[in-house]
Amino acid sequence: MKKTILGELEELVLLVVAASTQEAYGVPICEQLQQHTGRSFTIGAVHTTLYRLEEKGFLSSHVGGATAERGGRSKRLFTLTTAGGRVLLDMQQMRSRLWQAIPQAKLQLLGL
Amino acid sequence: MTPNRPDPQPENSSPPQWADRLLEWFVAPHLREYLQGDLHEAFHQRVAQVGLARARRQYVWAVLHCLTPFFVKRLPPVSVRHTTGYNNEYQPLSNLHPAMLRNYFKIAFRTLGRHKLYTALNLAGLTFGITCFLLIGLYLFDELTFDQQHRNASRIYRVIEHKTVNGEATTLAAGSYKLAQESRKVLAEIENTTRLLRPGRANLINPEHPVNFQETITNADENFLQIFDFPLVLGDKRTALKEPNSIVINQDLARRLFGHTQVLGKTLQFSHMESPLKVTGVLKNHPPNSSFDFNSLVSEASLRTTDYFKQTMTSDWSSTDFSVYLLLKPNVNSQSVSTKLTNLVLANDKPAPGTSLSFSLQSLNDIHLGSEAITDGARNSNVAAMAQGSPFYIRIFGFVALFVLCIAGINYMNLSTARASNRAKEIGVRKSIGAVRSSLVSQFLVETLLLTGISLLLALVLVNVGLPYLNQFVNKQLTLGLGTDYRIWLMTLVAALLIGLLSGSYPALLLSGLRPVLLLKGIKVNPPGSLSLRKGLVIFQFTISTILIISTIVLFRQVQFMNTTSLGFNKDLLVVIDVNTGAARDRFETIKADMAKIPSVKSVSVSSRVPGEWKTIRRVKINTQGKTDAPKIAYLIGADKDFLKTFAVDLIEGRNFINPTDSTAVLLNETAARLLNITKPSDQLVEIPAMSRGGEFGPINDDNTPFKARVIGIVKDFHFQSLHARIEPLVVAYNQNPIHGIDYYSARIEAQGIPETLEKLKAVLVKADGDEPFEFHFLDQQLALFYLEDARRQTLLIWVALATIFIACLGLFGLATYSAEQRIKEIGVRKVLGASVANLASLLSMDFLKLVLIANSIGFPLAWWATNKWLQEYAYHIDLDWWIFALAGLLAIGIALLTVSYQSIRAALTNPVKSLRSE
Repeated sequence: MKKTILGELEELVLLVVAASTQEAYGVPICEQLQQHTGRSFTIGAVHTTLYRLEEKGFLSSHVGGATAERGGRSKRLFTLTTAGGRVLLDMQQMRSRLWQAIPQAKLQLLGL
Repeated sequence: MTPNRPDPQPENSSPPQWADRLLEWFVAPHLREYLQGDLHEAFHQRVAQVGLARARRQYVWAVLHCLTPFFVKRLPPVSVRHTTGYNNEYQPLSNLHPAMLRNYFKIAFRTLGRHKLYTALNLAGLTFGITCFLLIGLYLFDELTFDQQHRNASRIYRVIEHKTVNGEATTLAAGSYKLAQESRKVLAEIENTTRLLRPGRANLINPEHPVNFQETITNADENFLQIFDFPLVLGDKRTALKEPNSIVINQDLARRLFGHTQVLGKTLQFSHMESPLKVTGVLKNHPPNSSFDFNSLVSEASLRTTDYFKQTMTSDWSSTDFSVYLLLKPNVNSQSVSTKLTNLVLANDKPAPGTSLSFSLQSLNDIHLGSEAITDGARNSNVAAMAQGSPFYIRIFGFVALFVLCIAGINYMNLSTARASNRAKEIGVRKSIGAVRSSLVSQFLVETLLLTGISLLLALVLVNVGLPYLNQFVNKQLTLGLGTDYRIWLMTLVAALLIGLLSGSYPALLLSGLRPVLLLKGIKVNPPGSLSLRKGLVIFQFTISTILIISTIVLFRQVQFMNTTSLGFNKDLLVVIDVNTGAARDRFETIKADMAKIPSVKSVSVSSRVPGEWKTIRRVKINTQGKTDAPKIAYLIGADKDFLKTFAVDLIEGRNFINPTDSTAVLLNETAARLLNITKPSDQLVEIPAMSRGGEFGPINDDNTPFKARVIGIVKDFHFQSLHARIEPLVVAYNQNPIHGIDYYSARIEAQGIPETLEKLKAVLVKADGDEPFEFHFLDQQLALFYLEDARRQTLLIWVALATIFIACLGLFGLATYSAEQRIKEIGVRKVLGASVANLASLLSMDFLKLVLIANSIGFPLAWWATNKWLQEYAYHIDLDWWIFALAGLLAIGIALLTVSYQSIRAALTNPVKSLRSE
């Protein structure tokens, strides 16, 4: 099967879900994203991404508890699947391989 | 997990309601709850962080960001839902959802494909029904849209004069010069008026290529082309008829006279006028559905120089020489205008005591079909009256078209309900896996509409194949193509849609309403009532078929009767030659003698009119001398002494004319003699004080003295008019009479060498007058024209009857097939127990025979009533014999039996092992 490609937002969302220690659903994910990236994302965009990741099999979901401020509406809680974890690992390995391939002198030349 | 939970938050800290509603509306149900929950949660956090107002704004912003296809897209059907584990309320798809429609069509095609016989039956029936409906519809449309080419058709009115003189009422489509001239100045409601004058016929000649050919003379004033929209190909409609001695001709006439249509400014000569005419316009040929049939229009201004017309122009308030048309202003009540018109005329011209006069306005739209009681006045008796349509036949054919369509629809209904049990399992399964009633209804409707759609396409092909024949029958130029009036297409589509919906809705509602448990258990689905309903439908169809068979036979017999009945004179081998020029009239003695010398001519006669006349026969008032009671009205024909011999009319009393001393002698027909109480002619004196002029009676002599004549003989009644009319009183006067001069030569000729005889006759006439165009016809052919309309309708009725019977048989055949299928086990058991094939076949056929018999008993009285009423229209008609009904009944039964027997016999012949093996 063709390897599924992850978009930037998808990767970020997947990382946030993987990193979260509490229930992962729209609002906290959104907050985390903003905190870490400094960019704001709409709930709609986050939801779209979450469902897309679920479709790709990197996340799974179940219905969670409702709260008063949600107007009694349930949450859809997402958890990382094995496939999701693997794709994150793959990605990290790929990146570190590339990092290692960068000649030391290059970044120093740029004054970094 | 219902969506409407009470919101625990106080009202003032909630997000904007409209945004919420928008969200709920467009977001797919399976995503809605979690998305909205998250949005609300985020909103409440934001309220704490940035305040209510900003939070609300941001909420709206967030909601608008969700307006993406991802959220709008609904969940795919059930199966997917189960696997993804989305726990959600059940949301059936709309019946109009593309996926559902696709499914409906797929199922419809499969069902239609699986039951090929039923599909073919249904298709044939519907196609036939729609074809008939379209053909008749086209005919009706053409009849009903007469004279609609004129933009202002709804505002154009024809002036009708109602005159009662001493209790005798005449209704004449005519008016006077001043009526047209003054009314447009005096009455504010009238926008414009125009006059038409049809003074007779004359030779219209292109002086460069003189060919004598008679044309009807039509004079029109300059407003005519502005009120009516007769399109001019060349010339200006505002000025074409303004100048004296202008003529406008149509394309056909231009081609005949000049060979082409670029004839503006050319010269023409009308034989009755001194000055030549200048062509100032070329008219487009009339469309087939136009009441007007003039080929040329001469400007009225051309007449102004004549003395007669000068007088008319100054003082004519009372004549009926003109056809007057008014163009009313928009939204004007024609009723009030006619009252004012009457008052206007009465103010200027007091009618004689005992005469009452009034005017009414007839809309242009009504002229074709609403002129039955109106005489087309303002024309010379040589000019044919405006052709009229018959509202009676419009109604009849309208009914027939609807009936045929109904029958086709009923067939469909019948077959689909009959086959309900075949589809019961299918419906049961569908219902148990969640099909709601409305989607089943839609499915059946789609099936019907699909079938109707295919039928419509087939019907369109059939119509185009059949139209040339129809056109021949009805003498029209109907077409159905892309150029056809959009209203016809609209009608076609509406009719097809309606028939589809109506015939599809009953089975759809019936079948979808059944309970799935019963269906799957295999319990009999047809409620007891539906069988009688289906029988009722079959009875209905055969009732109509029976009525149509009877009508066809009656009409056929009536037409045959009219063509073969003895007319009281011999119509065969008679050549009738029109007298068109003065010379041919004045020198008739020598011409007649020359004609009689031709060996193949048996005898020649001159007369003012001939029996079987198509032009107006002059009417007179007649009374025996000394009688003071009101004079009687009779027709009058002027004729010479050879008239009786040439036409083979029997003289039963007295003597024939002998020589010019008999110029004051008259013959009467039996009816006239009875009317005047004369039994033995003995030179009784009769007085003829008045004669008809354009529908009204006027004195014969200027000094008001009557024409006095002696009755010398009585002839046997003969049909001098069509058989539609009763034999009226007739006076045969001598050829030199003061009432009506001669107009025809009639020659009885030998059957051999007719073309040579005609050549010789022509030579005689042309020798006497070179201008004479020699117009002739054979009397029997001319007479047949009277009944042409009847013959046409007969042919049409035969086809409609055949179509109806065909459709009814299709229905019966389908039902018989079904019934044989249903009873297959019963037949098997009967056969095993020893029933013979004949037994079984008759058992199956009997059911249907009963229905046809019932249909007959309903159809007979109805047919009797209808045909009897119709026959009353004819003065001379056949009797309604019992055998006509018997024949129709036998035909219906025979056809029904033939239809049913195939299925019955086939069912009876089946091997019982086959039918009883299963279960």
